[in-house]
Amino acid sequence: MLENHPKLKEIRFTLYRIFKNPTAFMGFALLLVFTFIAVFAPKIAPPKNLSNPYMIPHHGYSVTPKAPSEKHIFGTTTGQYDIFYGIVWGTRTAFRIGIFVISIALLIGVSIGTIAGYYGGIIDEIIMRLVDVVFAIPFLVLAMAIVVAFGRGLDNIMYAIAAVAWRNYVRVIRSGILTLRDQDFIQAAKIMGVSDIKIMIRHIIPNAVFPVMVIAFMECGSVVLTAAFMSFLGLGAPKGYADWGQMVAMARNYIVGPPGDPLKFWYTIIIPGTAIILFVLAWNLIGDALRDAFDPKLRRQ
Amino acid sequence: MIGVSILIFGLMMTFSPERRAAAFVTTPQMAKDIPMLIKKYGFDKPFYVQYFTWIKEVSHLNLGYSLVASRSVFDAFLYYFPITLELNLFASPCIILFGIWMGTIAGIKPNSFFDHFSRIFSIIGWSLPTFLFALVLMMIFYGYFPWFPPGVLSDKLTMFVMNSNDFIRYTHLYTIDGILNGRLDITLNALKYLALPVLTETIVICALLMRVMRSGMLEEMSKDYIITAMAKGADKKTIYLKHARRNALIPVITIAGQLIASLMEGSIAVEIIFNRQGIGWWLASSATQLDMPVLMSMCLVMAVVFVLSNLFVDLIYAYIDPRIRLS
Amino acid sequence: MSKLIEIKDLVTNFYTYEGVVKALNKISLDIDKGITFGLVGESGCGKSVTVRSIMRIVQSPGKIESGQIFFHEENNGSTSDSEPVDLLLQTEKYMRHLRGNKISMIFQEPNAALNPILSIGAQVSESFLFHKKKEMAGKILEHLSAEDDTTLPLIKPFLRFAYTKLAENPQSGLLKLFSRVPVLKLWETKLKQEARRRSVEIIEKLAIPNARKIFDSFPHNLSGGMKQRIVIAIALACSPVLLIADEATSNLDVTIQAQILELLNTLKNDIISSILLITHDLGVVAETCDRVGVMYAGSLCEVADVKELFHNPRHPYTKALLNSVPKRAQAKKLETIEGSVPNLVTPPTGCRFHPRCSLAMEKCKQKTPQIMDKGNGHMVACYAAA
Repeated sequence: MLENHPKLKEIRFTLYRIFKNPTAFMGFALLLVFTFIAVFAPKIAPPKNLSNPYMIPHHGYSVTPKAPSEKHIFGTTTGQYDIFYGIVWGTRTAFRIGIFVISIALLIGVSIGTIAGYYGGIIDEIIMRLVDVVFAIPFLVLAMAIVVAFGRGLDNIMYAIAAVAWRNYVRVIRSGILTLRDQDFIQAAKIMGVSDIKIMIRHIIPNAVFPVMVIAFMECGSVVLTAAFMSFLGLGAPKGYADWGQMVAMARNYIVGPPGDPLKFWYTIIIPGTAIILFVLAWNLIGDALRDAFDPKLRRQ
Repeated sequence: MIGVSILIFGLMMTFSPERRAAAFVTTPQMAKDIPMLIKKYGFDKPFYVQYFTWIKEVSHLNLGYSLVASRSVFDAFLYYFPITLELNLFASPCIILFGIWMGTIAGIKPNSFFDHFSRIFSIIGWSLPTFLFALVLMMIFYGYFPWFPPGVLSDKLTMFVMNSNDFIRYTHLYTIDGILNGRLDITLNALKYLALPVLTETIVICALLMRVMRSGMLEEMSKDYIITAMAKGADKKTIYLKHARRNALIPVITIAGQLIASLMEGSIAVEIIFNRQGIGWWLASSATQLDMPVLMSMCLVMAVVFVLSNLFVDLIYAYIDPRIRLS
Repeated sequence: MSKLIEIKDLVTNFYTYEGVVKALNKISLDIDKGITFGLVGESGCGKSVTVRSIMRIVQSPGKIESGQIFFHEENNGSTSDSEPVDLLLQTEKYMRHLRGNKISMIFQEPNAALNPILSIGAQVSESFLFHKKKEMAGKILEHLSAEDDTTLPLIKPFLRFAYTKLAENPQSGLLKLFSRVPVLKLWETKLKQEARRRSVEIIEKLAIPNARKIFDSFPHNLSGGMKQRIVIAIALACSPVLLIADEATSNLDVTIQAQILELLNTLKNDIISSILLITHDLGVVAETCDRVGVMYAGSLCEVADVKELFHNPRHPYTKALLNSVPKRAQAKKLETIEGSVPNLVTPPTGCRFHPRCSLAMEKCKQKTPQIMDKGNGHMVACYAAA
């Protein structure tokens, strides 16, 4: 009879819905590959400079990129930085950006949203107006302004994006909590004298957190995108740092090759570009499948 | 609005008085007098006094001086704005029509070939960095096939427009000015330069619209009034377009603000790559050169745009949804 | 009495994640002309699916698998039966012509059955615009030739041309083209006015005061009972032969419920010839129906005239159902039916009621009993009911 326990059934149904979707499969596979690369980066591309492995080694200072060869399987970009090494260690950077930003944003967003939704009243009003304020300015513009205010650098980009990204979670978790707050089991817990904080952590957050997790997955991709774009503009890592956006920026002057062979330097841009796209795609594919699987409207069709 | 101004001001307060003083400099000459300015505008005074001084200046459109544009922020804004406006004037109808069209079809026939295609299309569109996509497009259509060069107008025509006394720039939008002056070659040339930027923005941004439209259609198609319409003997076209789509458009309008924001973000990347000197290009250049006043005032401007667009959205809402018209 | 609808061995399935839901298990049912037929059963027993199958509006993932549904169309009021048509073999175009015109339907939830963003008027006149174009065109032509017509002489020939065309062929491509051209589009105005006139008329007929004002209002302006009347108005617009009321009164207050039922009764003598009433309320059935069918878990158990069924139920399920209704002088404890409704993904073999039936025999588990006439038009599907 255990097999037909409604909770188990529900979980199985959710898993079925997720994996019925071939895109989710692709997403997980891609993510697995990237995780593998990130974890085994020192083995795949052994760093020359152990104290700072994120700096891409370069052989010479020639500005002209060199085509893929045995020594540099993806070729070298301008300044003779090895593209393969950059891709491998860039995976680590990308994960670092995505996970760091999302966790900070989740932490801020979920706690603020929970407080706003649970207490309501004037606290809710103040917090939501604050969120409205942050929502009024486009994500990228505000993040850029913050980076400019605090100075260039990859870390500052991460702080800046996190400082903007939390806004998305507040609204979602708050609306989830508003519907939960008046439900009987919360009332029952209150009557039993369970403390507010305990109710929030034990009963409310676990029930409201799923839609937030879905957004977190989808956001992870766009966070990496935004960071890559800011790096591309030159607000991020110093030259030679293993960061995909920065590598695209280095290649920017080589999109058009010498006359007669216009696509000569394709590898300088296509390879880091593909890495960014695949990485973001992996998160988005999973996020998309999760959203469909948890969407109550689409669920029972 | 007040909140936005406080937020931006708060960000500005993190600067040294010298840098903040620069925000009020309107000509290069004034840059020498910074210590005097600090005194004049009271940057050594408590923050609330400073806030009101600042707001007073802003309300007189004195937004500071842009190093990148080497003119005052307000003048620079007027100078760059038409280029961005032109781009988005062409891109937004493409995005809206294409997004709604694809979303409708995908929603009508879920799990059909078209639905899967549009789903993949939208996820890829979502995952595509605008700047990268623009670069690749340029690689192909400028590098390999020399068809669509970057810029706004060909050099020859730019020279002509700058120097000719006969060519009157009514709107500062090249496509429209070309028609008004009877110079169709300028219009066509401007359109040629617009093709790739508009394509980039369309593909990247319409993904969002498409998904919302699709799920809206799916939801509406399972409502009871669709069965009523079927039982009435309505044909498919009437059911889809007259009954379901009008209802499905309501959630789409809600994301209009988000769309405008992504248009602005999209313009930054597109203008940088295709070398169109508009607001986005100016913003990005200011960011790389740490031109703070520009970014601050742009945040303010964007917030104004956002509030205005929300107002506009409410109006459209009332037009489509009779339930809101009354309350 | 002659038959109107004849259903034979209808099977409809739903393809879901849990498996194939066998919603209808070879339903056979006749509905005669001029009667009110009640279909009763617990929720989820397939009443709605049956009627939706008749109109062929079963929504995905449901699918009509096999069977026949004959529709005996009246020929200009003559009672002699014309050749019946099997609705399941007809084209979608034929069905569109039938829906809302010959057979129409009203729904359980008046709040959901109306499109929230279209005006009441637009939704009512839609029916006329779908089915009565030809008729309306004739009427408009009459008006146009009348002497007191005030249409400008310039447009008159154009309008006359358009409406002659419409009277000849409602699907005319030329007129569709006209509708897309900005100024020529105005030809439709007269048609819309005519549809409006008719809509107001039908709304008035349903005892709704202030029909003109209602015409221009939106669903959210009206009360539940009012909305249900509008839904009925839409269904009655084209004077159908059969009106299907799918739990039409279940969600309304008791007083309004009574009003609506009375309304349906008067209308039955007036406009429509037959009503198929779906309900789970046996009281409603006793009061309004001539003949009743009882359904259980996707199969039809018993069909009989209303008095016969209430006085002499023969299927064990019907008996149990009647016993579970509280009576005015209830002396004993209220009886319930043991067990619960089976899951239709894996329905019981044989008679679907056998696991809960006190009279179940070995035979019941193996073979599905056929529904058979046991005299006086009392049809029962049970081995025990000899």
